[in-house]
Amino acid sequence: MAVGNVGVATVARRSLRVRVRELIDREKILGPVFVTPALLLLVLLVAYPFAMALYFSVSNAFIGRPSHFIGVQNFVNLWQSDAFRQTFQNAFVFTGSAVAIKLVLGISLALLLNQQLWFKRAIRGAVLLPWVIPTALSTLGWWWMFSSLYSVVNWTGIAVGIMDPPGPNWLGQKYYAMTAVVAVNVWRGLPFFAITILAGLVSIPRELYEAAEADGAGPVGRFWYVTLPMLKPVLAIVVLFSTIFTFSDFNIVYVLTHGGPINSTHLFATLARQIGLETGRIAEGAAISLYLFPLLVFVVYAQLKFVRKEVY
Amino acid sequence: MEPISRRRFLTTTAGLAGILAAGVPPARGQQREISYLAWNNFAPASDKKLAEIGQRFTKDTGIKIRIDHIAHAQQAAKYASEVQSQAGHDLVEMRMHFPWLYEPQLVDVSDLVADLEKKYGKVISAGYETAHVKGVWRAVPQYHLFFLATYREDLFKKAGLPVPDTWEDLYKVGKELKKMGHPVGIPISQNYDSISTAGPVLWSLGGMEIDKDGKTVRINSPQTVEMVEWYKKMFRDCMEPEVLSWNDASNNESITAGKAGWIHNPISAYLLARNKKMVTADGINHHRSLAGPQGRHDTDVPRHMGIWKFSKNIEASKEWIRYLLGKKEVYDEYIVSGDAFNLPVYTNLQDHPVLKTDPKFAAVKPEGVQLHAYGWPAPPSDKVQQITNLFVLPNMIAKAVTGTPTKEAIAWAENEMKRMLAG
Repeated sequence: MAVGNVGVATVARRSLRVRVRELIDREKILGPVFVTPALLLLVLLVAYPFAMALYFSVSNAFIGRPSHFIGVQNFVNLWQSDAFRQTFQNAFVFTGSAVAIKLVLGISLALLLNQQLWFKRAIRGAVLLPWVIPTALSTLGWWWMFSSLYSVVNWTGIAVGIMDPPGPNWLGQKYYAMTAVVAVNVWRGLPFFAITILAGLVSIPRELYEAAEADGAGPVGRFWYVTLPMLKPVLAIVVLFSTIFTFSDFNIVYVLTHGGPINSTHLFATLARQIGLETGRIAEGAAISLYLFPLLVFVVYAQLKFVRKEVY
Repeated sequence: MEPISRRRFLTTTAGLAGILAAGVPPARGQQREISYLAWNNFAPASDKKLAEIGQRFTKDTGIKIRIDHIAHAQQAAKYASEVQSQAGHDLVEMRMHFPWLYEPQLVDVSDLVADLEKKYGKVISAGYETAHVKGVWRAVPQYHLFFLATYREDLFKKAGLPVPDTWEDLYKVGKELKKMGHPVGIPISQNYDSISTAGPVLWSLGGMEIDKDGKTVRINSPQTVEMVEWYKKMFRDCMEPEVLSWNDASNNESITAGKAGWIHNPISAYLLARNKKMVTADGINHHRSLAGPQGRHDTDVPRHMGIWKFSKNIEASKEWIRYLLGKKEVYDEYIVSGDAFNLPVYTNLQDHPVLKTDPKFAAVKPEGVQLHAYGWPAPPSDKVQQITNLFVLPNMIAKAVTGTPTKEAIAWAENEMKRMLAG
């Protein structure tokens, strides 16, 4: 009798195990089980704040006070603000110049890293350092280097005779200040370009270069007719990501210049913080941060379409 | 690992579920605890003393206290996020007009202020104007600090320069200082110190940003033109372009590092040099605020303690305020630890013993000086705080000193201020 009971229990346990295994084997069930945690995180950390920002931007919300819907009034009013118009211009100058410089230097660095070098791995690792160090921390170092009192940049420039004392007022004069924030952005973003382009470079089949060489192509010809066309999809993705990251940059400007002098380095994120959080006008702050959203959506759409066309 | 019996598992989970459902911790876990967020005081010894007093408060009352600190430039954003999420610290330290900005979110603390005023006399004017919002005390005045002149007395003596008494005098000695390689250091950038100097210069000429009614923008005036012209000649003849990039600490760094010969600041620069035994410490001294045709005015920075309405520990937070500010011996101890940087904000305590602890604090007395918060004579409001936080005044001056015609720069500021007031 006892033996019979044990046998029944074992069969029941086995069948349960088999049923669970069968259930797990079904893609229709397993797929959603795996996706749900990530989806929940996306909803909580991305979709919800985004929806809140959308609501704030069309309301008259002020920190800690009741608000109501006012339509696109905030977006219209922003154009009357000199600081916002200046920020709009800054964002394009900053992003355009930083992405262009990172692209040119990124390709050059990737080509260099693709050569047979001594300590290749160590050098590739070192190149990534600016990207790995927390931005706020590394930018503090740059702030020290550009500081009017202790600028090592000016000290070196004066010592080697390429600057007249006291040297450029890096963070106090608008063109120099923009140059400084672009330089730090390039310094930080260059590894992303270089390493991603390098990954694209190593995937180009050697046969194409050999064929080009057999046809009499020199280094420039090989770069122009083999490397560049084969890199196009990678470049498009890198430029797309970098454009979005650079437009929404915050740390570098916040630490280096705080948006000054006279708002000449403010970006959307820094101005949105200043107005939305420091003065309590959260609705206006949300409108500033969302101003370029339609344009960025279009850029993403156009670039992804281009990439698909190139790949398939 | 010890196996958990079914009974124990059920008891524990049922208990936890009960606590979560009721939202009330069991009696054993109901020890009162409060959290207080204050700025990183420019007189760091004061923060150490605050922590020490906090420990004694816990010992005496059984209320645990956690004191956190934050850089002053981050305060507004941090408070905004606490208010928006209705979570964070129980009470916070507030600078100047902050009680106006967060008025609907702050507990009425009129009872606490009434007790303190009975004991120490009325709150000084800047404290009253900034924490007494629409007839209700929204924060308890804690202490204040004010701006005055910090200068290199040794350099002045060496060059035979007179100590300036007016802003015009400063221009005269400033030219000599710049020639000596020790320029005047007044920031003209997007920071608070820039506003703290621009305000007094404008007030001493009889100008203002906004009228007493709090609605009419008065920045476009002959007095502002005069003020901007003064800044232009100061920038050209007495200062270096670096002041356009300065933050709130830069003028302190410049004089303690031995560069600047004169700065407009509270006494924190001297305290830093003295406490760190820097070579410049002996040469630094203070003199009273400068005058203009319309008198001697300077910037007052009152600081207060406010309790958020969302706090679940309002009574315990009030007890902390009573302990820190209401016990005379504790308040004195706290003020003394601030080395005359933090001064009492109640009238009967103005001649405080802390002023006699160092001969270089002799000038730290606002005798004959009218002290005001930003935006004076406009009554404090969230709008004034917004104009402050957007740095309209320093940006107007920065535009003018870097080439924008004076009238154009002033018209720009007028437009920005009108937009702020209308919004």
